[in-house]
Amino acid sequence: MTLFKIAGKNIRKNFANYFLYFASMIFSIVIYFTFVSLKYDSTIQTASDGSQKISSAFSGAAVVLIVFVAVFIWYSNSFFTRKRKKEVGLYSLLGVRKKQIGRMLFYENFLMGILALIVGIALGAVLSRFFVMILMKVMGYAVMADFSISPAAIFNTFVVFMIISLITSVQGYRLIYRFKLIELFRADQEGEKEPKSSAVIALLSVALIGFGYWLALQILLTSKAWAAMGFMLTPLVILISVILGTYLLFNTLTVTLLKLARKHKTSYWRGLNLIGTSQLLYRMKGNARTLTIIAVLSATTLTAVGTAYSTYYNTRTNAELANPNSYMFIGVDSAAAAKADKAIKQAAGHKVLYHESIPLLEVDADTSSLNNALGEEDQSFTVISSRDFNRLAKLQGRDDAISLTGSEAAALEPVYLEGISPEYVGSSIKLKGEGFHKTIQFKTLKKYSVLNLGTVYSTIVVSDDMFAELKPNAKAMAVEAYSITHQDKAKELTELLDGILPEKAELSSFYGDYSRGMESSGLLMFMGGFLGLVFLAATGSIIYFKQLTEAGSDKARYMILHKIGVKKREIRKSVAKQVMFIFALPLAFGIAHCAVALSALSKMMMTNLVVPVVTCMGVYVGIYLIYYFLTVHAYCKIVTNRK
Amino acid sequence: MKTILQANNVNKTFGTKGNLYTALKNINLSISEGEYVGIMGPSGAGKSTLLNIFSTIDTPSSGEITIDGQNIVSMNEEKLSDFRRHKLGFIFQDYNLLDTLTVKENILLPLALSKVPAAEIEKRVEEIADMFSIREILDKYPYHISGGQKQRAAASRAIVTNPSLILADEPTGALDSKSATGLLESLSRLNQHNQATILMVTHDAYAASFCNRVIFINDGQLFKELHKDGMTRKAFFGQILEVLAMLGGGHHDAV
Repeated sequence: MTLFKIAGKNIRKNFANYFLYFASMIFSIVIYFTFVSLKYDSTIQTASDGSQKISSAFSGAAVVLIVFVAVFIWYSNSFFTRKRKKEVGLYSLLGVRKKQIGRMLFYENFLMGILALIVGIALGAVLSRFFVMILMKVMGYAVMADFSISPAAIFNTFVVFMIISLITSVQGYRLIYRFKLIELFRADQEGEKEPKSSAVIALLSVALIGFGYWLALQILLTSKAWAAMGFMLTPLVILISVILGTYLLFNTLTVTLLKLARKHKTSYWRGLNLIGTSQLLYRMKGNARTLTIIAVLSATTLTAVGTAYSTYYNTRTNAELANPNSYMFIGVDSAAAAKADKAIKQAAGHKVLYHESIPLLEVDADTSSLNNALGEEDQSFTVISSRDFNRLAKLQGRDDAISLTGSEAAALEPVYLEGISPEYVGSSIKLKGEGFHKTIQFKTLKKYSVLNLGTVYSTIVVSDDMFAELKPNAKAMAVEAYSITHQDKAKELTELLDGILPEKAELSSFYGDYSRGMESSGLLMFMGGFLGLVFLAATGSIIYFKQLTEAGSDKARYMILHKIGVKKREIRKSVAKQVMFIFALPLAFGIAHCAVALSALSKMMMTNLVVPVVTCMGVYVGIYLIYYFLTVHAYCKIVTNRK
Repeated sequence: MKTILQANNVNKTFGTKGNLYTALKNINLSISEGEYVGIMGPSGAGKSTLLNIFSTIDTPSSGEITIDGQNIVSMNEEKLSDFRRHKLGFIFQDYNLLDTLTVKENILLPLALSKVPAAEIEKRVEEIADMFSIREILDKYPYHISGGQKQRAAASRAIVTNPSLILADEPTGALDSKSATGLLESLSRLNQHNQATILMVTHDAYAASFCNRVIFINDGQLFKELHKDGMTRKAFFGQILEVLAMLGGGHHDAV
């Protein structure tokens, strides 16, 4: 019998043992293949018009996936080989040469890799179709062309997984060389020693996390810490300090707390608390790394998905903020304007809510006194009179009027960034015309505009008198503003207007921004969701695997408990508590890390993330809970099985 | 004297139709309070099966068993757990101590399960630790103590709840002769001073010679019964060896 045949036979006869490893490999391959075939899919490529943003998003996500999948396979591989150490030791004891054992393990692993690859690609071919459908739906594309499996995707997946499989196979080959025979036999008894705890390290862990949080929550531009460490380094420092803190926390603080709980005899010496606490205590050190990985993965997933979803969620708001009017264009060509007016009024399915012609001025200004962080000194502004502003604001449903006198002015800044945008109120700028200077003072700042951002410059509101005074010395123009019903469905009308109006008219439309936003944020959202689900499935599986291994080695203990009269119900309760601890700990920290990261982000992005992020967390916790119940069920089944 | 254990016509068969194996056949047995009974027999005779049935972790195929006035055959899983917890104490060959708990915690576990107040637990553990002279190892973990100490710890756990019946399954099986003697003497003391009822399965004639009565099982049936009745332990040991020779098992362990 050749080694290759023994390897094949091993797989066939031990399939139950191999199954978990095999399943996690297939899972990884399916996910990766699905993703890559989306990337190469012609429907998506043409639909997104080869946009740089989309293709780079796909490439970036693919790299993340590869890294992740490699780690995941590595993890399940080591989980799997640990189970087989004894078998390998036995071969060696029976006198099989190390080289032969190594080769056999190599073949075995490689054979499984190829098998998983075939199954994974076949499954992926079916699933990717389904994912394309979802993606199109989320991105707001109606077109659903026939989706085909591209050879490039198969090739890509094949190469990536061949490499991963080769690496793990080599790892398997080296197993026999890495350990002494006695170590292989002792594999199951590792890590059963009472862990030590250190109050200093426990405190340090809290301090590290606290420091990371504090740093993350600083206001970027004014923080001394950020300035001292630089913008590239600080996020890294935050990351390292939080991750290290989390690890130390799981490693020592939990041990310290559990030991403390043990001292409290009235509760510790009550029912199965004795068992649950002591088992957790024993396992904590061994679990610390896994729990840290899970906490970090959960935090990353939640943050990524939360951000993606909030972009998607805020697309409409952002488009509305940038386009308070459904359409706006400069009346440069009266014939074209008339034609456009006619087109808008006659458009099927849309009613005109208002149409206004607004006189505006274009003025250059010296903004050096504005302490602008972006550092521009000369800037062009669009000027609107307070009467026109008030009229438009009212039409747009804003209960907000400005009254200005003399050289008072108001700034309109819909994308105001704390710390980055200039502080308008109280400062003044100098408007410049030909042989003309006029200084105006900002009295108020409005964080919205009444004009579409795509058509005009930054806008200043001045008093009616000032407007009249500036008019002869500045470039005057009139813009046409329309508001229509169902502006989010105005695809045809927008395309029509794009054709009618010349470039110079600077047509801006709600629909244009909205559909572009949906497209990119939809993709982001899909990708975030996709990766999020993958990460979630993986984190869930990692805990599940880990707990089931523990259940296997705990079986004897529960058997003893059964003999001395512990009821199944009590065992179930104790297991549920124990597993809850393992599940809840990383989740709680994942959510806390994510909350800090997102509140830092939302400060920067000036968007409200609460609703979308809470939604994401809800879904995440929901799926996570399903894993929890599955684990408890499987655990109980293993430890109460009397056969 | 009060009867602690009463077994009538206990049968146990394994396997499915057409491939039946009878492990126990018509076992009738009665044990009174304060007795120290040994069960002996060659391998495969059914000793362990019988003990498992008395331990309520296995059920007989037919027959009736009453322990301390309660019929254990008709009880459901829940009630059996309670029954084991309150009425039975176990000593196993491989100690069955939980390795994540200290010796003290192992001993007090049954009390903790019954939600006994902490102060009382403390008192009870102290008492028993003295009885088995394991006071100095109370805070150690099972993997730090010797086999004999482990078995004494296990025995302490078995009696901590003052059970009606102590069941011991080859308690000296994994011990050297000195530790075995220590344990057996402790059990005898327990039997004599505390009137504890003990049922011990063993294949070791030396261990069995500590009992008041030894029951022999062969091929699933009661074979013979010996009573000590004031005999010296050595004389009783000789009698036991004779029966074993009759049974054809090669049990000639050293005295």
